Amino acid sequence: MDAHLSQIREALRSQDGYALAAALTPAAPANDPTRLHTLYRDDITLNAVQAEIRHAVTYHDGVKLSKAERTAWTEVFGNHWKAIVEIVNAEQGRERDSSWTKAFEAWKEVLNALIRGYQTSVFEAWSIPCLYVGGNYLRKFAIKADKQAEIQQGSVTFNAGFQDDIVGALDQHETLEEAGRQINRIYTLCITDRAPLEESRKWGVYYVTNLLFKTYFMLNRISLCKNVMRSLQTTEPDLPPLDAFPKSQQVTFKYYAGVIYFLEEDYAKAEQYLTSAYELCHKDAQRNRELILTYLVPCHLVTTHTLPTPALLAPYPRLQALFTPLSRAIKRGDLGAFDAALTAGEEEFIKRRIYLTLERGRDIALRNLFRKVFIVGGFEPLKEGQTEEQRIRRTRIPIEEFAAAVRLASRVPGGEVNGGGFGAEEIEQDEVECLLANMIYKNLMKGYISREHGKVVLSKGGTAFPGTGV
Amino acid sequence: MSRSASLISRGHRPTHRTLDTPAYNTVPARRTLAPQHNMVEHTQAAPKPAKKVNWSPEVREYVQRSFAPEAAIPGIERTEMETKLKQIITQAAECGTLESIDWTKLPLPQYYIQQELGTQQPGGPLEASDMSPNWANGSLKRKMDVDVAEPADETSPPWKKLNGRSKDFGDRISYASKSQESKIDKRARKRQEELKAGNESKYNADLEKRKKRFDIGKPGNESPRPWQNLHHSYRDDDNVGGSRGPVIGTCQTIEKRYLRLTAAPKPEIVRPLSVLEKTLEHLKKKWRQENDYTYICDQFKSLRQDLTVQHIKNEFTVNVYEIHARIALEKGDLGEFNQCQTQLRALYKESLGGHPPEFVAYRILYFIYTCNRVDMNDVLTHLTITDKQQPAVRHALQVRNALALGNYHKFFRLYLDTPNMGAYLMDMFVGRERLAALANICKAYKPDVNLRFLTEELGFESDEDCVQFLIDANAQHLISEKDGVLKILTAKAGSLFELAKATAFRKVDIKGQI
Repeated sequence: MDAHLSQIREALRSQDGYALAAALTPAAPANDPTRLHTLYRDDITLNAVQAEIRHAVTYHDGVKLSKAERTAWTEVFGNHWKAIVEIVNAEQGRERDSSWTKAFEAWKEVLNALIRGYQTSVFEAWSIPCLYVGGNYLRKFAIKADKQAEIQQGSVTFNAGFQDDIVGALDQHETLEEAGRQINRIYTLCITDRAPLEESRKWGVYYVTNLLFKTYFMLNRISLCKNVMRSLQTTEPDLPPLDAFPKSQQVTFKYYAGVIYFLEEDYAKAEQYLTSAYELCHKDAQRNRELILTYLVPCHLVTTHTLPTPALLAPYPRLQALFTPLSRAIKRGDLGAFDAALTAGEEEFIKRRIYLTLERGRDIALRNLFRKVFIVGGFEPLKEGQTEEQRIRRTRIPIEEFAAAVRLASRVPGGEVNGGGFGAEEIEQDEVECLLANMIYKNLMKGYISREHGKVVLSKGGTAFPGTGV
Repeated sequence: MSRSASLISRGHRPTHRTLDTPAYNTVPARRTLAPQHNMVEHTQAAPKPAKKVNWSPEVREYVQRSFAPEAAIPGIERTEMETKLKQIITQAAECGTLESIDWTKLPLPQYYIQQELGTQQPGGPLEASDMSPNWANGSLKRKMDVDVAEPADETSPPWKKLNGRSKDFGDRISYASKSQESKIDKRARKRQEELKAGNESKYNADLEKRKKRFDIGKPGNESPRPWQNLHHSYRDDDNVGGSRGPVIGTCQTIEKRYLRLTAAPKPEIVRPLSVLEKTLEHLKKKWRQENDYTYICDQFKSLRQDLTVQHIKNEFTVNVYEIHARIALEKGDLGEFNQCQTQLRALYKESLGGHPPEFVAYRILYFIYTCNRVDMNDVLTHLTITDKQQPAVRHALQVRNALALGNYHKFFRLYLDTPNMGAYLMDMFVGRERLAALANICKAYKPDVNLRFLTEELGFESDEDCVQFLIDANAQHLISEKDGVLKILTAKAGSLFELAKATAFRKVDIKGQI
């Protein structure tokens, strides 16, 4: 306890926000694994603790706090002590009625005391790392509380009010939703601070934004993330530049922003943010790099029609498993293998929200297949005076040839036609025409379809399949 | 009795009328005697010599019904019932409510006894019997069928008497605070609700017979229930007047207008399950006959409300939401449709029956319509392999896949072969997909295509429809005739369809409306 108090005292004296935040952190640091337990004492009352805290922040040379500040910090650390008791209880399951929900509620009081301190302009901006700790652990406790609650009760709650419909809440994230609201309060607290930038809470904005993103992603509330993005965009000129924040926060922010754009199908922006996140990411942060690549690879497939090299994926076995079968099928223009790979990985793809993007890789597989037809089709007979180099590829290709290729490539090893909806035998010529029309429409092929002649007329001069050399 | 007598009676009635049921004059309390017109009402209402009781036919019939062997509830002695019966009638006479009570609708005395027993002996054998697994799924459905089909023959098991209303109320208070409830409790309650429904439908079947005998006309506006006071006093005796927890309805009207609740509803205006079941049949018939959506929607909303306030959550609930969703879909009322969908999604999670694949398919189609990728991904997350094999779900997924890849050929084939009512949803986006396909075709095909080709590729019913669509899209200048064949000059379309497509997709911003 004494160490704890002197930590607080020292932090307040030197106005060291990080040290104060460390004192507030409700988790044991690596060098002091029993920290929470030493704070947790059965033989002491809250009043006594508060008195000690008040004493610590009051009577010490060097600590010059106003009365309001003393009261406010006493309140924060008094609540903090109460929360520690609940947390230790929840960790140990010691008391019969202990739970993470209680720990969450107790911690929420800590956060409330903190927020009040800022709202009443008692706390100065140097102490904002405390807000981050407050929000971050609120989120963590909420997750634990929800998990605990889910084990204890069923999945669907009943409508307890007088509403018209039978079912109340669908989701099992009540506590985390609440945490989201509280963290949003911190966000508002930071972004609306009008103090000069040097002493503004705006320096907390990206920290809190990242907390919000993490929370909303877990809640699957992407639309709320978009709101945050919008609000950031409007205030951006008044914010400290993103690159003035620690790299860890930059990477986190860029990753989430990239994924949000990715989900909105704004692949150009997504690529920009994700690439930047990937470049900034610490080279040893394998897990983070893997996460970034999970979205950057599909993004790349759509924007540039390129596939990841084996070297890029080499350090990440999980990504290899995820992308290699698909990549191989796309490269070979093997529609059957593509459909099979997509189905095989479906669950994982959907879980990571990349299914709907990867699905579009089929276009590239198809393009590669049609390109093969074009190449195999050979050249026009040499005309008089033409040299071998000058001869041109056959550019008028019967639709039947493409149709045959599609049927051939749609076969799945094992014989059964894949459920992607393209049965090998049942593919009609009209459907192949439709696929060809799509290729042309999407600029994957250059040329036109002549129904009258039943042919595809491709452009000459090495531009039939833009970007592929033929 | 003469008309003048009835007038007199009306003259001095108001003194105590105003105290209990002020709405007396408008109360069509004697619906059951409707053929004799309003005069009858006065006749009945006229004071009979209070002491020398000349029981009305209704009261007599009530007594008869109470003693009928099929009304007996095992475990309740006949003498007990007699005492209660006496008490009911005496109290009514003393309060002067003999005439105002609708005896045809008053629950039988044994019913009240059952309730009281319920309060005295909570728990016990009931919980034990509920430990059996599989109860919720299998037997539930059967039970309901049995109850509705042959109510009279069903003998109550001995523990049935523990399921009186007041017991439910005690229980339900904890239920309202949803969180602490264990699965077993939930099952127990569901079962109680079922049982209660059983009781009431039995009691109700008699009622229906009577109603038919008297050939009552419109059941619609039978709003006030004159016996509510008496009934209330019993409830209060049982100490069940608390406002928390679900209500147990006592209202017997089939139809009811929807009103948004701001407080717990009175039991008298809530219809119990047995009545709601009739309501549903009635509404289905009316919908078929009259097709009046405003009316039907209103009625369904009140039906849903009654289910909610009574916490009735079973296969019937699912059925109600499914039917309302289908009707709303047919009428293009997406707001209501979505509300039902949300509820159904939760109800399906509890495996209460119904048609989950059909409605999962609607969800998928709906998210195609709203271009909602995030929610679409969500739907996909929750699909099981079995789900995906269901024809409706398979179809919806293929539609999604076809559109994702721009495969309009496949899309319009699927459109023409949509299971269930999915076509109503697909109709909402088929127009814009035609524009998209046209943009595509016009870029890919040169110099022209036959009109017939478009008609077939874009799923039009006839060439005329196709031409009309082109005209509506301001593309009439692309239609030309060559050698007696109508052609579309794709090469001349320019960005016409591209722009139209962009506009059509922009308009879909109705997500907030969900």
